[in-house]
Amino acid sequence: MFDNFDLMVAALGAGMWTTVWVTLTSYTIALAIGMVLVVMHVSPAVPARWAANAYTQLFRNIPLLAVLFIMYFGLPKVGIVADNWVWALLGLGMYTGAFVGETLRSGINSIPLGQAEAARSIGLTFGQSLKGVILPQAVRAVIPPLGSLLIALVKNSALVLAIGVTELTAQSRRLIEDNESRFDLWGVIIGVTVSYLLIALVLSYLVRLVEKRTAFVR
Amino acid sequence: MSRQNESTVLFDALGPKGRQRSAIASVISAVVILGILAYVASVLAGEGFFESSRWVNPLDALVVQNTWVPAILDTLLAFALGSVLALVLGVLFGFGRISRFGLTRWASAGYVQFFRALPLILLIWISFTIDGHFGFTTHTLGWSTEARRLTFLVLGLGVYNGAVLAEILRAGVAALPPGQAMAGYAVGLRHGQVQRLVVLPQVLRNMLPAVLAQLVILLKDTSLGYVITYPELLHSANIIGRDYGNSFLQALFIAAFIYFVMAYALSKLVVLVERRMRKKTAAPKAAAQLESTVAGGQAGVGVI
Repeated sequence: MFDNFDLMVAALGAGMWTTVWVTLTSYTIALAIGMVLVVMHVSPAVPARWAANAYTQLFRNIPLLAVLFIMYFGLPKVGIVADNWVWALLGLGMYTGAFVGETLRSGINSIPLGQAEAARSIGLTFGQSLKGVILPQAVRAVIPPLGSLLIALVKNSALVLAIGVTELTAQSRRLIEDNESRFDLWGVIIGVTVSYLLIALVLSYLVRLVEKRTAFVR
Repeated sequence: MSRQNESTVLFDALGPKGRQRSAIASVISAVVILGILAYVASVLAGEGFFESSRWVNPLDALVVQNTWVPAILDTLLAFALGSVLALVLGVLFGFGRISRFGLTRWASAGYVQFFRALPLILLIWISFTIDGHFGFTTHTLGWSTEARRLTFLVLGLGVYNGAVLAEILRAGVAALPPGQAMAGYAVGLRHGQVQRLVVLPQVLRNMLPAVLAQLVILLKDTSLGYVITYPELLHSANIIGRDYGNSFLQALFIAAFIYFVMAYALSKLVVLVERRMRKKTAAPKAAAQLESTVAGGQAGVGVI
């Protein structure tokens, strides 16, 4: 069943590395975009709020695959050319950034109003109550949903195969459609499944670790 | 969003200076945003992006009739069938996970964890390939090529989103006060009756916003039919773009716009339902709200 096992492991390993690398890099981009969005969302400047809202609605309602297609196949038509991995990182990052922004915002909103009232009534200034009362709670509230966004991003990163980045799914596709048919279908399926489960398992373990480290008694 | 206006307690009410400052910030941010938009528009215009022929050609009456409309219908068909399958599987495995029988619980948990960990694009494509490996079983049933593609797209969408919906429903059951089920037992209902008559209706009501939000994602995910060349919207836009080489980007934009309209309408429905469903069940309303507002869900259920 596992014909040419070493070749298969090498190919899937390379794909796994690409998947992890693409996921982590685009997640960093997404976090940066999400933070900018949440600042724009709560800012007193109305146009900034509108822009953040427009960005979020746009990326929440358009399929990721369409975003990647527009970037990689469409933009060269207007003279904007970049390598496929650049668009993969940017596309995944911008798309996920909209969701990160929403998560951060609802994290701040999930803190009961009484907390802010209490902070203000004992005489903390706006900055102090934000730094000492609201944000520590909000950050802890958003860690689990941010973690599940990260794990969702692992799965979404598979879409970049459509623009020719050979991550895990693309590698398994290459193995199965190998023109010398050196690999068994079931062997590759088991291999790619185990790889994805492994990534998901490790990442959710790490997320839980962060959650535990930052937990405090309420 | 409504919270934004209420949480003024964080701020002191703005004085004349503060109001002036916020007005200045508004003007500056407006100028910056408009500047970026104008720059993008001028770059696009320089490349002839807005030339009317480029927009009119892919929207020719014949193309609309022969490609756009069937593509939208095919997308909606995959969406409808996929949602039905996902809902059925979701209820089945969601309640399987809290079953009295260890084996059912174990099997349901296995199903949910397994299919939630794999990318949907892999599920769709693998099931299609396995079928090809066994000599196109659906062909021997006398199905057309398109029906075969639709089958595997719907199968992938249903199985994957079924696992996600199962988690959402389980979170809904957990959020329901245990007194509801106890009251059911107290009036003499059997376990099955309690689940069917007391728990399920309330959980469905409570979790409807989260479920509908997941269905919006399912609608967007129909675009993954692209990998098995199911003639959905994105695939058709690609073909139109290739036919009218000059309008490639425009065709993709039109497709993206149609997706936007469909998904936006569905998500507005979510808000509407959310408003109407409040206060109709015993569960604290925070549970359902949190699920739908936090993109990932507190229990880590929803995905993008």
